[in-house]
Amino acid sequence: MKVTYNWLKEFVDIKIPAKELADKLTMAGLEVVSLEEKAGDFVLEIEITSNRPDWLSVLGVAREVAAITRRELKAKNPKPETKIAKGNLRIEIENKKDCFLYTARIIRGIKVGPSPEWLRKRLELVGCRSVNNIVDITNYALLESGEPLHAFDLDKLNPEKIVVRRAKAGEKITTLDGQARNLNNNVLVIADKAKAVAIAGVMGGQETEVTLDTRNILLEAAVFDPIVVRRCRQALGLQSESSYRFERGVDLGMVEQTSLRAAQLIREYCFTQGVFFNSSGLAKCKERSVKLDTARAAEVLGVTIAPAKIKQALSRLGFVIKQKAKNILDVGVPSFRQDVKLEVDLIEELARIFGYERIPVSLPAVKPQVTANAKRALTSAIKEILVGLGLSEVITYSLTDKLTLNSLGFGLGVQPIEILNPLSQEQEVLRPTLIPGLGRAVSLNFNQKQEYVAIFEVSNIFLGENKPQEELTLGIALSGTKSFLLEQGLVKDEAGFLNLKGIVETIFARLGISGYTLNNQGSSAEIRIQNEKVGLMLSLSPQSLNKLNIKNKNVFMLELSLDKILSFTRRDKKFIPLPRYPGIARDISFILKEGFSVQAILVLLKETGRPLLSEVRITDYYKGRQIPVGYRGLTLSCFYSSNERTLAENEIQPTHELLCAELVRKFGVKLR
Amino acid sequence: MDIKAVSAQIDADIQEINSLEALEQFRLKYLGRKGLVAELTSAIPGLPQEERARFGQEVNALKNKLLSLIAEKQKTLAGSSGQAAQAAGDLGMPGISQSLGQLHPLTQVTDEICAIFNRMGFSIVEGPEIESEYNNFTGLNIPLEHPSREAFDTFYLKNYTKMLLRSHTSPVQVRQMKEQKPPLAIVVPGRVYRPDAVDAAHSFMFHQIEGFMVDTGIKFSDLKGILEMFAQAVFGNDIKMRFRPHFFPFTEPSAEVDISCIICKGKGCSVCGRKGWLEILGSGMIHPNVFKHVGIDADKYTGFAFGLGIERIAMLKYGINDIRLFFENDLRFLRQF
Repeated sequence: MKVTYNWLKEFVDIKIPAKELADKLTMAGLEVVSLEEKAGDFVLEIEITSNRPDWLSVLGVAREVAAITRRELKAKNPKPETKIAKGNLRIEIENKKDCFLYTARIIRGIKVGPSPEWLRKRLELVGCRSVNNIVDITNYALLESGEPLHAFDLDKLNPEKIVVRRAKAGEKITTLDGQARNLNNNVLVIADKAKAVAIAGVMGGQETEVTLDTRNILLEAAVFDPIVVRRCRQALGLQSESSYRFERGVDLGMVEQTSLRAAQLIREYCFTQGVFFNSSGLAKCKERSVKLDTARAAEVLGVTIAPAKIKQALSRLGFVIKQKAKNILDVGVPSFRQDVKLEVDLIEELARIFGYERIPVSLPAVKPQVTANAKRALTSAIKEILVGLGLSEVITYSLTDKLTLNSLGFGLGVQPIEILNPLSQEQEVLRPTLIPGLGRAVSLNFNQKQEYVAIFEVSNIFLGENKPQEELTLGIALSGTKSFLLEQGLVKDEAGFLNLKGIVETIFARLGISGYTLNNQGSSAEIRIQNEKVGLMLSLSPQSLNKLNIKNKNVFMLELSLDKILSFTRRDKKFIPLPRYPGIARDISFILKEGFSVQAILVLLKETGRPLLSEVRITDYYKGRQIPVGYRGLTLSCFYSSNERTLAENEIQPTHELLCAELVRKFGVKLR
Repeated sequence: MDIKAVSAQIDADIQEINSLEALEQFRLKYLGRKGLVAELTSAIPGLPQEERARFGQEVNALKNKLLSLIAEKQKTLAGSSGQAAQAAGDLGMPGISQSLGQLHPLTQVTDEICAIFNRMGFSIVEGPEIESEYNNFTGLNIPLEHPSREAFDTFYLKNYTKMLLRSHTSPVQVRQMKEQKPPLAIVVPGRVYRPDAVDAAHSFMFHQIEGFMVDTGIKFSDLKGILEMFAQAVFGNDIKMRFRPHFFPFTEPSAEVDISCIICKGKGCSVCGRKGWLEILGSGMIHPNVFKHVGIDADKYTGFAFGLGIERIAMLKYGINDIRLFFENDLRFLRQF
């Protein structure tokens, strides 16, 4: 909202420059977002919070200025009319809950024309376009007091009665902006005997608009229900200075005064023959008071404000103070302060006027709770491992579109949770998988000429079988070729399933998860722990790669449920004594026909080699010139040791020979 | 055999040795299985009874002399030649190392902020992203049909009534205050959603950190103290802070918190809109109506709460000018952090 420095000065003596005033207002909660010197005045644009409709007026801001600069507010008491015209206008309010008060002032014999210079200028300074003297005066009175007014051309109305009612189904009106609007029962209208002439609290109708030919007007000043106005505004997509104020709450106490103020200006600038006034509804609102314990205020704020200052500040803000007992004040709440309901609301007022900057700084005694957050610890351990392994963390959107999910083959079988009010198609559903988001990130980075992409994300996926559920999930994507420049030259490592497996192994080893299996299903593999499926490794299909616009590269992805693996982690460590006697290492090199699993070989050797064989590892793997097609070469390193003595060569010989024989017998390997 | 002559020969031989290989040859010659000492030892039983002891002692002395000569020579040889230290070569060549990955800048900022509050005794708690309308609004004293809700435009779920994507992390306040009894000191990081059109300054998904403390005797001045420590920890000790009255439905009194602009140090620049101040968070004393909703006695307990946007802090801290960069995940961006 915009106000001007000179306009404010009409209500309060301001002895400080505009810049200082702007800073003081900002520090009192009326944030001045711009200050502009214009046409011999200063325009202050203020951001008004939704709880303070009273600040949506020059008067309201002036009241604040009076309180913070410790001056008195100068009230403008418009003089009542002397020329009373005869008249007969009935006002009917269909439902008093929709409209608390309706007043109508019939002003006859006016002359519509351009506004005087000062009025046009002032309106323009605050961003209000000048129309004609009548419309300008209603706008001026609105901006000054915060109470919206509307002027109808009386001769275009049926003058018998004014009805405030809900619109009938199928009823139509063309509003002042020239738009024809279809109304319904949710819309509150002002009607004459025959038809709707305005949308209550939002905008007048074109038919009854004040024009240069208008001679007699009906000046409306009313208070409508905030929620009704809000719904009308939303339903019609129509906002105005009036609706903005009605939605936030208009002061019942200002209605008649504002109408009178406008009438006085009309008498002054538009000529008037006579006036007739009628009203219906509540004349004023119920008087309320709130108890204030000044000792409590000191407790809440952490500073004691002198009682005299408390009383002075609250009085300047329009509150009426009665001392009830020591420290206890009975604070009468003015009608324009509907936001003040509780003691804390008054405490905030004190703090504002006293100045937040003058409240001291203290530190509370924290009573810490030491319970660790297991899920967060797990997440952060995994993230650290992955960063150590050279992966970059990404954050992708939780919302996605159905088409992407379906085209990547992830929509099938899962019904993603849909969003009722997405702004665009990309926000249609909550993702049931991290894979499409990671896929897009991979694609983007290949477009930026990256050779190798290794990324991960830890965030929720959303599943909605019976009730919406969130599952904390780790997603990894690997793709492209990683290059290492070593002493011997460039070494290239193309990402593959085994790179993914290596990451899984490292994570599980660090988290103390054992007994997991990788269930090969062709282009994907399930990860199971104690038979529970906890994740999936996969290679994106050519169709998916195509959709993601990834060319000549395979993308390997992992999805692992952190919620599921949490219960399998064992992070408590136990020391195993170091071996006391040296052991003996023996290698076995052989070629193995494709189709046999190395895992099975390792299991067999470990069982057969007991008790002397303490460890067996694959130390080399090769395919190439020396190896026949359909075979691969492997070297295993077997390590023999004992906890009781140093083993002699001849002691391990029989076991080692047995292992070799078993390899030949069970897997048909050719020893080399 | 004349032990003395042998001893003289040994002295001469050892002088000649200038490599570890030669020393090994020397060792084998005298101390090997078929070496001289072994030969002399095996001759002992054939000697007359009266000579055996003396000869045995002499052989033993010879053996000890050999061992100490060899050890000594070994030391000098190792020190002088053999494996020379390698030359550094061309250190312009790229170093050989494993490349590290990195955490997303938003994670780094979140972790940093959480760690600061953790050190001050706050626990870290998280909450669900799918929330009830009650926890997101009503329980926080935000009326359903009031202009104060405009600041919280919200994504609703289609097939679940009154369920939504939380538009702030504050619903976790409601959850925690229902679950636990005071004293409470908690921070809540998390993702939040608002249907905002995406541009350089807006995103429909972003991150917040919520913090709150509830106990007897918690004061507004405590809120100032805690937040001042926080801002100094994140932005440095020189930072100035100001608290401005504001309105949030769930706090009263409410305050918006500005820090002196970290770019221009308060002089006014384009980042702070010539104001010299940057708005960084919203805060206040927890509204008694919120306590009423969660069943905490507002006469006995008071508390403060604050919330801040992580993207905002990260953008200020690193000088990032477009919020979309956080979610594009360009490695050229991510690797800078």
